[in-house]
Amino acid sequence: MPALPSLDRLPRGHRFAPATYDLSHDWVDAYLAAVRDATTPSLAPETVPPVAVLALAVRALLEQAHLPEGSLHLSQELSCHRAARRGERVTAEATIVSRGERAGWLLLGIELAVRDAQGGPVVSGRATLGVPAGGGGP
Amino acid sequence: MSGPGEPPVPAAELVRAIDQGAIDRYAEVSGDRNPLHIDPAFAARTQFGGTVAHGMLLLAYVSEALALACGRPWLERGRMRARFRAPARPGDTVRVRVTARGQTAWQVEVVDQRGQLLVTAEAEVPPAPA
Repeated sequence: MPALPSLDRLPRGHRFAPATYDLSHDWVDAYLAAVRDATTPSLAPETVPPVAVLALAVRALLEQAHLPEGSLHLSQELSCHRAARRGERVTAEATIVSRGERAGWLLLGIELAVRDAQGGPVVSGRATLGVPAGGGGP
Repeated sequence: MSGPGEPPVPAAELVRAIDQGAIDRYAEVSGDRNPLHIDPAFAARTQFGGTVAHGMLLLAYVSEALALACGRPWLERGRMRARFRAPARPGDTVRVRVTARGQTAWQVEVVDQRGQLLVTAEAEVPPAPA
Protein backbone atom coordinates (compact mmCIF):
# COMPACT_ATOMS: atom_id res chain seq x y z
CA MET A 1 0.00 0.00 0.00
CA PRO A 2 1.52 3.36 -1.01
CA ALA A 3 2.43 5.84 1.71
CA LEU A 4 -0.20 8.47 2.30
CA PRO A 5 0.63 12.06 1.31
CA SER A 6 1.28 14.38 4.20
CA LEU A 7 -1.59 16.77 4.79
CA ASP A 8 0.73 19.79 4.86
CA ARG A 9 1.94 18.99 1.32
CA LEU A 10 -1.50 19.14 -0.24
CA PRO A 11 -2.54 22.37 -1.99
CA ARG A 12 -5.53 24.57 -1.38
CA GLY A 13 -8.35 23.19 -3.47
CA HIS A 14 -7.32 19.57 -2.96
CA ARG A 15 -10.43 17.39 -2.86
CA PHE A 16 -10.20 14.07 -1.12
CA ALA A 17 -11.95 11.20 -2.84
CA PRO A 18 -15.51 10.72 -1.57
CA ALA A 19 -15.80 7.82 0.87
CA THR A 20 -19.00 5.88 1.46
CA TYR A 21 -20.00 4.55 4.86
CA ASP A 22 -22.96 2.63 6.18
CA LEU A 23 -24.47 3.96 9.39
CA SER A 24 -25.03 0.39 10.47
CA HIS A 25 -26.76 -0.43 13.72
CA ASP A 26 -23.55 -2.08 14.94
CA TRP A 27 -21.41 0.95 14.16
CA VAL A 28 -23.89 3.41 15.69
CA ASP A 29 -24.19 1.27 18.83
CA ALA A 30 -20.39 1.07 19.08
CA TYR A 31 -20.11 4.83 18.63
CA LEU A 32 -22.74 5.59 21.27
CA ALA A 33 -21.01 3.19 23.67
CA ALA A 34 -17.60 4.74 22.99
CA VAL A 35 -18.83 8.26 23.75
CA ARG A 36 -21.25 7.04 26.46
CA ASP A 37 -24.17 8.86 24.84
CA ALA A 38 -27.42 7.61 26.38
CA THR A 39 -29.31 10.79 25.51
CA THR A 40 -29.57 10.48 21.74
CA PRO A 41 -31.07 6.97 21.75
CA SER A 42 -33.56 7.97 24.43
CA LEU A 43 -34.66 11.07 22.47
CA ALA A 44 -34.61 9.60 19.00
CA PRO A 45 -33.69 5.89 18.83
CA GLU A 46 -33.28 5.83 15.03
CA THR A 47 -31.15 8.97 14.88
CA VAL A 48 -27.37 9.11 14.59
CA PRO A 49 -25.71 11.99 16.48
CA PRO A 50 -24.56 14.70 14.05
CA VAL A 51 -21.04 14.70 15.50
CA ALA A 52 -20.82 10.97 14.75
CA VAL A 53 -21.73 11.66 11.13
CA LEU A 54 -19.19 14.47 10.88
CA ALA A 55 -16.55 12.15 12.36
CA LEU A 56 -16.92 10.05 9.21
CA ALA A 57 -15.78 12.99 7.09
CA VAL A 58 -12.74 13.35 9.34
CA ARG A 59 -12.19 9.62 8.89
CA ALA A 60 -12.34 9.97 5.10
CA LEU A 61 -9.62 12.60 5.32
CA LEU A 62 -7.41 10.55 7.64
CA GLU A 63 -7.72 7.53 5.34
CA GLN A 64 -6.20 9.58 2.52
CA ALA A 65 -3.59 11.79 4.16
CA HIS A 66 -1.03 11.50 6.89
CA LEU A 67 -1.39 14.00 9.73
CA PRO A 68 2.07 15.39 10.53
CA GLU A 69 3.34 14.97 14.07
CA GLY A 70 2.31 17.84 16.31
CA SER A 71 -0.84 18.67 14.34
CA LEU A 72 -3.65 20.25 16.33
CA HIS A 73 -7.40 20.37 15.78
CA LEU A 74 -8.00 24.04 16.50
CA SER A 75 -11.65 24.54 15.74
CA GLN A 76 -14.67 22.80 14.31
CA GLU A 77 -17.91 24.02 12.82
CA LEU A 78 -20.91 21.78 12.29
CA SER A 79 -24.26 22.29 10.56
CA CYS A 80 -26.91 19.63 10.72
CA HIS A 81 -29.16 19.70 7.65
CA ARG A 82 -31.34 16.84 8.77
CA ALA A 83 -31.19 13.97 11.24
CA ALA A 84 -29.13 11.04 10.02
CA ARG A 85 -30.85 7.71 10.42
CA ARG A 86 -29.52 4.33 11.39
CA GLY A 87 -29.11 2.02 8.45
CA GLU A 88 -28.61 4.67 5.79
CA ARG A 89 -25.61 4.96 3.51
CA VAL A 90 -23.76 8.26 3.41
CA THR A 91 -20.87 9.71 1.44
CA ALA A 92 -18.25 11.87 3.12
CA GLU A 93 -16.20 14.49 1.30
CA ALA A 94 -13.38 16.78 2.38
CA THR A 95 -11.72 19.69 0.58
CA ILE A 96 -8.82 21.89 1.61
CA VAL A 97 -10.27 25.38 1.25
CA SER A 98 -7.58 27.50 2.88
CA ARG A 99 -3.88 27.38 3.66
CA GLY A 100 -1.98 30.03 5.53
CA GLU A 101 0.99 30.41 7.83
CA ARG A 102 0.97 32.18 11.17
CA ALA A 103 3.52 32.18 13.97
CA GLY A 104 5.26 29.02 12.82
CA TRP A 105 2.07 27.14 12.11
CA LEU A 106 0.48 26.13 8.86
CA LEU A 107 -3.26 26.66 9.26
CA LEU A 108 -5.45 24.49 7.07
CA GLY A 109 -9.17 25.06 6.61
CA ILE A 110 -10.97 21.91 5.51
CA GLU A 111 -14.58 21.80 4.42
CA LEU A 112 -16.34 18.58 5.36
CA ALA A 113 -19.62 17.39 3.91
CA VAL A 114 -21.67 14.26 4.38
CA ARG A 115 -24.45 13.53 1.90
CA ASP A 116 -27.15 10.91 1.69
CA ALA A 117 -27.65 8.38 -1.09
CA GLN A 118 -29.63 10.96 -3.10
CA GLY A 119 -26.88 13.56 -2.75
CA GLY A 120 -28.78 15.61 -0.20
CA PRO A 121 -26.78 17.26 2.58
CA VAL A 122 -26.92 15.60 5.99
CA VAL A 123 -24.13 17.25 7.96
CA SER A 124 -21.46 19.72 6.92
CA GLY A 125 -18.76 21.64 8.69
CA ARG A 126 -15.34 23.15 8.59
CA ALA A 127 -12.28 22.02 10.51
CA THR A 128 -9.26 24.19 11.17
CA LEU A 129 -6.06 22.25 11.72
CA GLY A 130 -2.71 23.62 12.80
CA VAL A 131 0.40 21.87 11.53
CA PRO A 132 3.88 22.88 12.75
CA ALA A 133 5.47 24.66 9.80
CA GLY A 134 8.88 23.14 9.12
CA GLY A 135 8.79 21.25 12.39
CA GLY A 136 8.33 24.46 14.36
CA GLY A 137 5.46 25.61 16.52
CA PRO A 138 4.28 28.59 18.51
CA MET B 1 -33.19 31.47 37.03
CA SER B 2 -30.09 33.27 38.26
CA GLY B 3 -30.03 36.67 39.91
CA PRO B 4 -28.03 39.76 38.92
CA GLY B 5 -24.31 39.12 39.09
CA GLU B 6 -24.75 35.39 39.45
CA PRO B 7 -23.50 33.01 36.79
CA PRO B 8 -26.27 31.75 34.51
CA VAL B 9 -27.87 28.48 35.51
CA PRO B 10 -26.88 25.78 33.01
CA ALA B 11 -29.66 24.43 30.84
CA ALA B 12 -27.78 21.15 30.77
CA GLU B 13 -24.67 19.76 32.36
CA LEU B 14 -22.76 16.59 31.63
CA VAL B 15 -19.76 15.10 33.42
CA ARG B 16 -17.47 12.57 31.80
CA ALA B 17 -14.35 10.88 33.18
CA ILE B 18 -11.68 10.37 30.57
CA ASP B 19 -9.27 7.48 30.72
CA GLN B 20 -7.07 5.85 28.13
CA GLY B 21 -9.71 3.17 27.57
CA ALA B 22 -12.27 5.81 26.58
CA ILE B 23 -9.78 7.37 24.16
CA ASP B 24 -8.87 3.97 22.69
CA ARG B 25 -12.53 3.07 22.17
CA TYR B 26 -13.14 6.36 20.40
CA ALA B 27 -10.06 5.80 18.20
CA GLU B 28 -11.36 2.38 17.24
CA VAL B 29 -14.88 3.47 16.35
CA SER B 30 -13.87 6.71 14.61
CA GLY B 31 -10.87 5.31 12.74
CA ASP B 32 -8.68 8.15 14.08
CA ARG B 33 -5.68 6.18 15.33
CA ASN B 34 -3.27 9.09 15.50
CA PRO B 35 -0.54 7.90 17.91
CA LEU B 36 -0.87 11.17 19.82
CA HIS B 37 -4.12 9.72 21.15
CA ILE B 38 -3.36 6.04 21.58
CA ASP B 39 0.41 5.51 21.89
CA PRO B 40 1.67 6.68 25.31
CA ALA B 41 5.35 6.20 24.37
CA PHE B 42 4.96 8.24 21.20
CA ALA B 43 2.84 10.90 22.88
CA ALA B 44 5.38 11.27 25.70
CA ARG B 45 7.84 12.66 23.15
CA THR B 46 5.43 15.32 21.85
CA GLN B 47 4.74 18.80 23.20
CA PHE B 48 1.86 17.32 25.21
CA GLY B 49 4.04 14.91 27.19
CA GLY B 50 1.38 12.19 26.98
CA THR B 51 -1.73 11.10 25.19
CA VAL B 52 -4.65 13.48 24.77
CA ALA B 53 -8.29 12.89 23.93
CA HIS B 54 -9.55 13.48 20.40
CA GLY B 55 -11.18 16.86 19.96
CA MET B 56 -14.07 15.05 18.30
CA LEU B 57 -14.58 12.98 21.45
CA LEU B 58 -15.04 16.19 23.43
CA LEU B 59 -17.43 17.40 20.72
CA ALA B 60 -19.44 14.21 21.13
CA TYR B 61 -19.92 15.18 24.79
CA VAL B 62 -20.86 18.71 23.72
CA SER B 63 -23.39 17.31 21.25
CA GLU B 64 -24.97 15.11 23.90
CA ALA B 65 -25.22 18.06 26.29
CA LEU B 66 -26.91 20.11 23.55
CA ALA B 67 -29.32 17.25 22.94
CA LEU B 68 -30.12 17.32 26.67
CA ALA B 69 -30.72 21.08 26.52
CA CYS B 70 -32.54 21.33 23.18
CA GLY B 71 -33.99 17.87 22.57
CA ARG B 72 -34.58 16.45 19.10
CA PRO B 73 -34.27 19.82 17.29
CA TRP B 74 -30.53 19.74 18.02
CA LEU B 75 -30.24 16.41 16.23
CA GLU B 76 -32.30 17.65 13.28
CA ARG B 77 -31.05 21.19 12.58
CA GLY B 78 -28.44 22.24 15.13
CA ARG B 79 -25.38 24.30 14.26
CA MET B 80 -22.22 24.72 16.28
CA ARG B 81 -18.94 26.57 16.13
CA ALA B 82 -16.39 25.15 18.59
CA ARG B 83 -12.88 26.15 19.51
CA PHE B 84 -10.43 23.73 21.14
CA ARG B 85 -8.43 25.65 23.73
CA ALA B 86 -6.59 22.95 25.68
CA PRO B 87 -6.42 19.16 25.51
CA ALA B 88 -8.14 16.69 27.82
CA ARG B 89 -5.90 13.94 29.14
CA PRO B 90 -6.42 10.50 30.66
CA GLY B 91 -7.36 11.01 34.30
CA ASP B 92 -9.28 14.21 33.61
CA THR B 93 -12.92 14.65 34.48
CA VAL B 94 -14.59 17.06 32.11
CA ARG B 95 -17.75 19.02 32.74
CA VAL B 96 -19.84 20.30 29.83
CA ARG B 97 -22.11 23.23 30.62
CA VAL B 98 -24.77 24.53 28.23
CA THR B 99 -26.36 27.90 28.97
CA ALA B 100 -29.09 29.63 27.01
CA ARG B 101 -28.31 32.83 25.10
CA GLY B 102 -31.77 33.83 23.99
CA GLN B 103 -34.47 31.70 22.40
CA THR B 104 -32.37 29.77 19.90
CA ALA B 105 -28.71 30.27 20.86
CA TRP B 106 -26.59 28.41 23.37
CA GLN B 107 -23.17 28.86 24.89
CA VAL B 108 -21.16 25.76 25.74
CA GLU B 109 -18.07 25.42 27.89
CA VAL B 110 -16.05 22.32 28.63
CA VAL B 111 -13.78 22.56 31.66
CA ASP B 112 -11.60 20.03 33.42
CA GLN B 113 -11.50 19.23 37.13
CA ARG B 114 -9.17 22.19 37.72
CA GLY B 115 -11.55 24.56 35.99
CA GLN B 116 -9.31 24.90 32.96
CA LEU B 117 -11.27 25.79 29.86
CA LEU B 118 -10.86 23.08 27.22
CA VAL B 119 -13.54 23.88 24.63
CA THR B 120 -15.85 26.79 24.01
CA ALA B 121 -18.71 26.62 21.55
CA GLU B 122 -21.63 28.64 20.32
CA ALA B 123 -24.60 26.66 19.15
CA GLU B 124 -27.84 27.56 17.46
CA VAL B 125 -31.01 25.59 16.91
CA PRO B 126 -33.09 27.51 14.38
CA PRO B 127 -36.89 27.31 14.64
CA ALA B 128 -38.50 24.58 12.58
CA PRO B 129 -39.33 25.73 9.06
CA ALA B 130 -42.99 26.66 8.68
